[in-house]
Amino acid sequence: MSQPSTPAVVSQYLSFFVAGEEYALGILQVREIIEYDTVTRVPGAPAWIRGVTNLRGSVLPVIDLAVKFGLAPCTPQRRSCIVVVEVSLQGDKLVLGVLADAIGQVVELGPGDMEPPPAFGTPVRVDYLVGLGRAGKKFILLLDIDRVLQGQDLLAAGALKASEAPPVQAETSSKEAAR
Amino acid sequence: MRPDLEMVRAVFRAEATELLAGMEQTFLSIETSAGSEVFERLFRSIHTLKGNALLMGFPAASELAHTVEDLIEKLSARAVPRTAALATLLLQAVDALRLLIGIPNVNERAGVDPGEIQRRLVAAARAGGPPEAASPASSAPAVEGEAPAAERLTEAVPAPARERTLRVGLDRLDRMLDLTGEIAIARGRLTTMLEQPGRYSPQELLAAHRESDRLYQDLQELVMKARLVPIGSAFQPFARTLRDLSTATGKLVRLELSGEEVEVDTAVVELIRDPLTHLVRNAVDHGIEPPQVRKARGKNPMGTLRLHARHEAGGILVEVSDDGAGLDPGRIRDRARAMGLLGPTEERPDDELYQFIFTPGFSTAERLTELSGRGIGLDVVRSNIEALRGAISIDTQAGRGTTLTLRLPLTLSIIEGFLVGVGEETYVLPLESVIECVDLPPTERQPGRSGVLNLRGQPLPFLRLRDHFAMEGPPAERESVVIVGYGQGHQAGFAVDALLGQTQTVIKPLGRLFQHLPGVSGSAILGNGRVALVLDVSTLLRKLLVAPGPTAAA
Repeated sequence: MSQPSTPAVVSQYLSFFVAGEEYALGILQVREIIEYDTVTRVPGAPAWIRGVTNLRGSVLPVIDLAVKFGLAPCTPQRRSCIVVVEVSLQGDKLVLGVLADAIGQVVELGPGDMEPPPAFGTPVRVDYLVGLGRAGKKFILLLDIDRVLQGQDLLAAGALKASEAPPVQAETSSKEAAR
Repeated sequence: MRPDLEMVRAVFRAEATELLAGMEQTFLSIETSAGSEVFERLFRSIHTLKGNALLMGFPAASELAHTVEDLIEKLSARAVPRTAALATLLLQAVDALRLLIGIPNVNERAGVDPGEIQRRLVAAARAGGPPEAASPASSAPAVEGEAPAAERLTEAVPAPARERTLRVGLDRLDRMLDLTGEIAIARGRLTTMLEQPGRYSPQELLAAHRESDRLYQDLQELVMKARLVPIGSAFQPFARTLRDLSTATGKLVRLELSGEEVEVDTAVVELIRDPLTHLVRNAVDHGIEPPQVRKARGKNPMGTLRLHARHEAGGILVEVSDDGAGLDPGRIRDRARAMGLLGPTEERPDDELYQFIFTPGFSTAERLTELSGRGIGLDVVRSNIEALRGAISIDTQAGRGTTLTLRLPLTLSIIEGFLVGVGEETYVLPLESVIECVDLPPTERQPGRSGVLNLRGQPLPFLRLRDHFAMEGPPAERESVVIVGYGQGHQAGFAVDALLGQTQTVIKPLGRLFQHLPGVSGSAILGNGRVALVLDVSTLLRKLLVAPGPTAAA
């Protein structure tokens, strides 16, 4: 809003750090930022689900993006926090917490400040990104958080049910679970 | 479409659902008993429906309702005979009306063609006799030539999700409002007291807090009571289901309902409908024999299906019993062996054999009929019941019949919980499954995921939660075992680090990301603000019983 000359095309992004890299999410997806508090581990859940925490009386699942990206799990520090985001998952709205080492900044990006994601070289899979944002001299990875949680990876949660069944059946039942 | 119209329609649908359910009940009894007051009630219902449907923009439904009205008039004046075929047609008309208005049908009947039914209703009313093609098989799609009429009629809207509504007496709501007001005042007083540090002693503050706490508990109880509805609303659709099943199978079945007035949480009523439907279908399809067979066995050719509900300490019992053939342990044994669930020479007591029917994919039916073999089995029924924190048990006698008993909690949102500590975490066990707690003697403390404890001379298998959940950190100094009951009189233990006592717990669902997580039924927020997981005793233990050996926690 500080640049009223181009209000329609400038969008705001909130950046945060995961495993030393700066990522950003569209600010409209971010509901709030809360302090990192104890997260209860959920036995049997995939490793990238850190657990659940109490968000003013409701239960909030907390995601460890570092694990999701195939990196070492995040170790909570003094500046760690949880970014509460709203994602759409197979048509449903879901509120999730994303674990961040630190919060970066709010960046305003116009169309000229965004580049398509490069074919390779990024620390995360290219299809998790909507693009690269130019903030000053550096680039910020713009995440497609819906995509990160979608598809095959989500089946992991459903596949757990199948873990007790023989492996042959595991595949079909995880498909059912995802439906 | 304007969104406010959709809201008005939702109200209309809720009302129409009730009207149609009432009409369905009446049509079921129309052949046997129908006095003039029955017809008056029918007239009122169908007339209301006709008018409202037109107003809400469902002209086809209104037109169909008008035809039904005509026919009822003829029936009432005894201008047409009251036959079973006619009753079937009227029931199909109810289905067609549901389809046209967009009410999801509990009886999940497919292939309803409103155009065809409309035509047959007109024919029945005009001819003053039963329609020529009134067998249940004739609910086939309309013939080509009638397409225009059918097209005009089926403007069916996509069926929206069932509106969840509940009627609550205004006096109850008023009392709730009063209580909320009183709580607001008590909270305000407490805030004022807290804002003046040093002026009030901790005892005074605590007393003020207890005051509002008492009011809050009154409110909680009232809200829970308001959610209670008679379970009869879950039973009633089965009169229709049985009628259809009897027609389809040629079996004669009588429905006996009792305990319909027993009150349960409205969510329980909604969620047991599907499992009950399955059990009823099962009983008719597998349990009750055809009339000739029954006669040959010296039984009444008409079978009886009983649905019975009653209160039991802390919950309710729903029984589905039939006086059919009963389960055949020999056939279950053969099938279990064929599936590799039982060793070739292994023997089990009958009670344990019966448990196999809850195994996924288990069916002893020699043929797949229209009714069974739909891909869902008793395993789904059991998991649905367990999702409600309930349990299911079987009691059967060869030749005498089978009774399936569902044990359900009264409410789904609040439980008495027993807190245990394991490492850094706290878990909640439902208090109703906890029998007693004992110390784990040092002599029994072998490391490992499970073990057997000598409990007053009896072996008691126990599961060490710390190892089962792959917790990190050093093992506790001393361990305790919580003894829980599951299934029919079985006992097992959970070895934990600490016993933290009992408390009332509000259960929060874990959400979509954690669907189908074995052994966890929900979560609860503790007094210190942390989240604790509520453990599902029976699935935790069953996982071990079904798959012995070191299956690592995923």
